[in-house]
This record gives sequence, C-alpha cells and structure tokens, in this order.
Amino acid sequence: MSAATTDTANPRKPYVRPISKTSWFLTSARYKSYMVHEVSSIFVALYMIQLVAGLFYLAAGPEEWESYLAFLRSPVVILLTLVGLVFFVIHTTSWFKAVPQATRIMRGEEVLPGKILVTAHYGIWAAVSLFVIILAWVA
Amino acid sequence: MTATRTIQLEVLRYRPEQDAKPFFQTYAVPVEDEWVVLDALNYVKDELDRTLSYRWSCHMFVCGSCGMMINGEPKLACKAFMQDYPSGKIRVEPLSNFPIERDLVIVQDDFVEKLTAVKPYLLPKQDKTVEQGEYLQTPAELKKYKQYSLCINCLCCYAACPQYGLEPSFIGPAALTLAHRYNTDSRDAGPEARGDLVAAHEGVWACSFVGACSQVCPKDVDPAGAIQQAKLYSALNFVTGMVKGDK
Amino acid sequence: MAHSSRGSAKAIPWFLFAAGGTVTAFVLPVMLIVTNLGFFPSAMSYEGMSGFLSWWIVKLAVLGILTLGLWHAAHRLRVCAHDFGIRADELVAWIVYSAAGFGSVAAAVALLMI
Ligand code: SF4
Ligand code: SF4
Ligand code: FES
Repeated sequence: MSAATTDTANPRKPYVRPISKTSWFLTSARYKSYMVHEVSSIFVALYMIQLVAGLFYLAAGPEEWESYLAFLRSPVVILLTLVGLVFFVIHTTSWFKAVPQATRIMRGEEVLPGKILVTAHYGIWAAVSLFVIILAWVA
Repeated sequence: MTATRTIQLEVLRYRPEQDAKPFFQTYAVPVEDEWVVLDALNYVKDELDRTLSYRWSCHMFVCGSCGMMINGEPKLACKAFMQDYPSGKIRVEPLSNFPIERDLVIVQDDFVEKLTAVKPYLLPKQDKTVEQGEYLQTPAELKKYKQYSLCINCLCCYAACPQYGLEPSFIGPAALTLAHRYNTDSRDAGPEARGDLVAAHEGVWACSFVGACSQVCPKDVDPAGAIQQAKLYSALNFVTGMVKGDK
Repeated sequence: MAHSSRGSAKAIPWFLFAAGGTVTAFVLPVMLIVTNLGFFPSAMSYEGMSGFLSWWIVKLAVLGILTLGLWHAAHRLRVCAHDFGIRADELVAWIVYSAAGFGSVAAAVALLMI
C-alpha cells in the first residue's frame, strides 16, 4: 500500500493527512466530551488518595483526625471538592448512558430496551445516595 | 418544481499525478431541497467538472460506497439531505483517518485486510452435509446479533474513531463488530475459532469506548456497544481459562 | 498478526476498571458530599467515624470501594496518558497499576489499624 513514485506505470501516490497525537481531541465536540469523562479519573484518583490518607489519620487518633478535618476545610480542598463533584456526576451520568450499549440482556425473545436499564441505574443511584445520607444523618 | 438555490460546494481535491497536497475547490451548484449531497456531486460531475472522482452506487444507503466527511462529519453522501444544510455552503472531504487515493476516494486496503482477518462468515461447530439440512436458529437467537449484521462497510465509523486515526494497527469498529456478530451467532463455533485477533492488543482492547463510531453510523449498528460486549466476553473467557488452567 | 497473550493481559485490569467504574458511579458523588463538605459534622467526628469503621462489614465495603476506585482511576489514567500522546504505555501501565496496588494494600493496613 506504500506510495509509489509518479511514473506512468503506477501513478498511485496516496496522501496521508497528518493527525496530532497530542491535540486530536480538540478537533470535535464529541472528542472533547470524551476527554472530559476520561479526565474525571484524575479526580477519582485524588479522592481515593485522600480517603486512604484519612484512614491513617483516623487510625492515629483523635488529634490527628482533627488535623485531617482541618485539612478538608482548607479552601484548596473545598475548591477541588466542588470541581471534583462536577466530574463525579459527569462520570456517573456518562457511565449510566453507556450501560445499555455494553450489556445486552435478552428478555424472552426481545432485547431488553436500554431505557429500562438506564432508569434502573438512576433508581439505584438515588437509593444508594439516600441510604448514605440517612446513615450520615443519624450518626 | 421546487425552489432552487445555489450553494457553494467546497470539495477537497487531490490529483496524485499533479498535486503535492490536497486543496479545496469550490463549485457553485444549483440544488433543490429534496436533493442529497451526492446529487450535488453528481451535478458537478455531469455539468461542471468531469475530473472529480468519488465513489457511489446505490443512492439509497445500502451499498456503503459514498461515505465522506460532510462539514466535518462522516456521513453517507446519499443520506445527507440539502434541507439539513441551510447555510448555503457545504464542505466535502474524503473520510478522515484514511489515505486519499484521489479527490474523495480513499484507500481502503487496510480495512479490507482487517475485514478478511476477522473471518466474517459462519464457522459452524460441526460441518453439515446438504442432506443433513440447514443450520437452524430461533428468532431470539437471531435478535441477539441482528443489529450487528446490518453494517454496510461504509467506514464512517473508522473516520470517526480517534483510536484508529492514532493507531492504524487497531482492527477498528466495523470489523470487530462483525467478528462479534459471528461470535454471538448460535450457529457459530464462536470466539475460539476467530477469537485470537479480537482479544489481541490490536483488537477490542485498543478501543477506549469513545463511542464516536456509534454516533455516526448511518445504519445504527452500534459498533461501540458490540466492542464493549466483546471485551466483557473475552475478559470472562480469560478468567475462566485461568481457572481451568489452560492459559 | 495476533498476540492473544499480550491482549489477554489487558483483561484483568479492564475487569477491575469496569467494576470500579460501576461502583464509583453509584457511590462517589454522595460520598464526596458527606466527607468533604462539612454537612455532617457528627458522622465525620472522630467518634462517629471510628464507630462506623469498627464494623467489619463497613471495613470490607470501604476496602472494596477504595480498591476498585483506585484500579478504575489507574486504568483510565493509563488511557488518558495514551490519549494525550504519551506513548510509553508499558511504563505508564506499570506506574499506575503499582500505585493502585500500593494504595489498596495501604487501605487494608489502615483499616486493620482502626
Ligand atoms: S458499523 Fe456503521 S459506520 Fe461502520 S462501516 Fe458499518 S455501517 Fe458504516
Ligand atoms: S468506541 Fe472504540 S471503536 Fe468506537 S470510536 Fe471509540 S475507540 Fe473507536
Ligand atoms: S450510494 Fe450507496 S450508500 Fe450512498
């Protein structure tokens, strides 16, 4: 398939359009929204690190735990939290949207409609969130 | 007759024997509202410039030859209606991610090779003779993969897929979908017969589920979905293989 | 043309990625609200938290969320690196998966200490 020279016997000379390996995702809105949900992983990673660190502070004792709570109250953490929350919700909604594509469930002779699956996910999401809030409330 | 308007049709031209690089050429084309972009190209070819090259055949979204970038989106030129382009200017380019052979014609060799490699045909569990009859299947078994069998090889999905553009060794959406279509066919011996390639590095794992392929597919095949299911399948397969100790 | 062994090596991380993506999708938004925004002072107090985490079932759940979340993030970060044009995939994979493994073990240790 390689490009041939311009001779009369074979005038083929396929032209390959260049693609930037580092900025291709800026070329369409579709790619940008993909990158947004990929980038959500940075915030997931940061939050996981924060939680693991928190467990160590908790294990160390009440004073250490207080200093951890103070750290959580710092403006930088609050700001990161708010941005992270947006990314988490984007992660959740984009994940749910993809569920019916990635799983095909047969109900009798028919493929279970994707809408039912997505709605079920939102329902469970609401239930789980409510459960956690109640748990935190009564504590 | 309906009202005719004139649009500026910008076409990416590339004539290998004389051009070092592609360039845009603009044609003023009188169009009618019920026309599709392919009609405008045919007008250019018939009335304005006989040197313009592009592929088409059926003019009814079944042959898959007229895939091209229309205002930056991979589409079938015969399914892109003038009504949806009210601005008076339409830009037409050959499908992204493929080398340009000439004008709007792309080099398809890479895809054809991959299509062949996934063995897109039934590999029955047991060959039957004509006397033994047909390979039967229930409607439910058919529905499992039917959507994935509707592909017309238009390559719009390859033009939309960033991972194919970045890594041309990637087998890509349509070929992997077709592999999945046969792998999930109850009459087929399944992935073991063609699985290696699908489960390989260049196979389903090179897809990062951008989903662009499914958004542009003119036949609603949903290649992205097929590939994710194939990932799950081949991951499960790997795990059960490990448990059984044959990996 | 195919190297199934190379490809299959991606099956396990992908599994964890998919499981982690599902779990995090359900729990992370609400968890972040509870832990980081100060709406639940008594739950986040030392007594509240250590009482909560004294349950074995809770420890297990927390460990599960942390492990899967870490693996999910690790795998996606690997893909991200690729998408931003960093092509040292083997090295990136090694770094992110080791970090996730390390984080998971650390989480288990911390939970045992509580
Ligand atoms: S999957 Fe859709 S977009 Fe891709 S080649 Fe087939 S019909 Fe075209
Ligand atoms: S889902 Fe996979 S095959 Fe489809 S566009 Fe995205 S990376 Fe390409
Ligand atoms: S000409 Fe056949 S699909 Fe467009």
